[in-house]
Amino acid sequence: MERTNLASMEPLGKKPIQVLEKIRENLERLNEKMEVMIELQKHDKKDLQQLIPDAPLDVMTLLSMPDHLRKTAMTLCRMGRATAEDISEQTKRARAVESAYLNQLVIMGHLKKERVGRKAYFFVDRENTPGGH
Amino acid sequence: MCLFDLDFRAPSLTTLLGVEKAEHWINDYLNNASDINKVLIDLTDRIGNCGKFCVALANPGTEAIRDMSAKDRKWEMRALGRLLALKTSLLNGGGFDYLIFDTSPGLQYSSINAIVSADLILVATTFDRSDVDGTKRMLRELYDLFEKKTEVILNKVLDISSKTSKDEVQTKLKDIYQVPLLGIVPCFCDILKAQGGTIFAQEKPDHPFTRILNDMALNIDHMQ
Repeated sequence: MERTNLASMEPLGKKPIQVLEKIRENLERLNEKMEVMIELQKHDKKDLQQLIPDAPLDVMTLLSMPDHLRKTAMTLCRMGRATAEDISEQTKRARAVESAYLNQLVIMGHLKKERVGRKAYFFVDRENTPGGH
Repeated sequence: MCLFDLDFRAPSLTTLLGVEKAEHWINDYLNNASDINKVLIDLTDRIGNCGKFCVALANPGTEAIRDMSAKDRKWEMRALGRLLALKTSLLNGGGFDYLIFDTSPGLQYSSINAIVSADLILVATTFDRSDVDGTKRMLRELYDLFEKKTEVILNKVLDISSKTSKDEVQTKLKDIYQVPLLGIVPCFCDILKAQGGTIFAQEKPDHPFTRILNDMALNIDHMQ
């Protein structure tokens, strides 16, 4: 029994920092997902009633958005590419709130998300959106 | 300063500024078919105050007008991205202090794209009932939603010669629109007589109309 435990702990003994980093990364992702779920409950999922993959973030879409999402989307439009923290500095709202709104906009198909290391960057994918004439 | 004609339905700056020929248009830039530096026409030699003055003209050809009116949402989304990019390329790297987007009134895509890209919105209106109603609606349903700093210019106002009548107009306007007033431009017969054949402010620098424009420009300068 003791031997088994030691064997299972061996990788942790070899690279404890990497393992802890991995755990932290997973916890952050889990946290982001929970933030989205909390936001969805707050707004009764009204914002996500019509999900369109790769829905263009044009000005008419911005106009039709609820105020809280429009503010986040407008700020990202101006900045081009940003993290939730960058957006929160502009909007003066909490980072967790902006993270939830940004993830909501990703789910709605208006934004794209890319991870670089531990940071999650959000952007409007204007060039790769199909169509447009 | 750089002036953009974003009224694609009725482009007028080509005629107003008397530009004989343009190789590239702002339409081409938004279509990703031309670099902005090829579109800009340098008219610095036309003005005498040592400032740099460039224009980006909209194509006044019928085919171009038709083409621009048939653009879809995805194209408009990309056009917004390209307009936003101008702020980086021309204000930060192009040596310009101001970019002015001249748009048509109403809810056209090109106008709203310009509003979203702008830092300050100037709404020119008159006391005509249809203008008042339309402007009120635009302020409430558009500019407020985008949380943009907006100011109103009241144009073609009759009889504001006395201070009392000017104060009355200002109070009335603030009650109606609930936004700051940048300036009041009286109705000048001299401007109508000029028939748009010249740049009036340039031709008559001492005219009251030109002085009002200068005051408004100074006010904008002080907002920074």
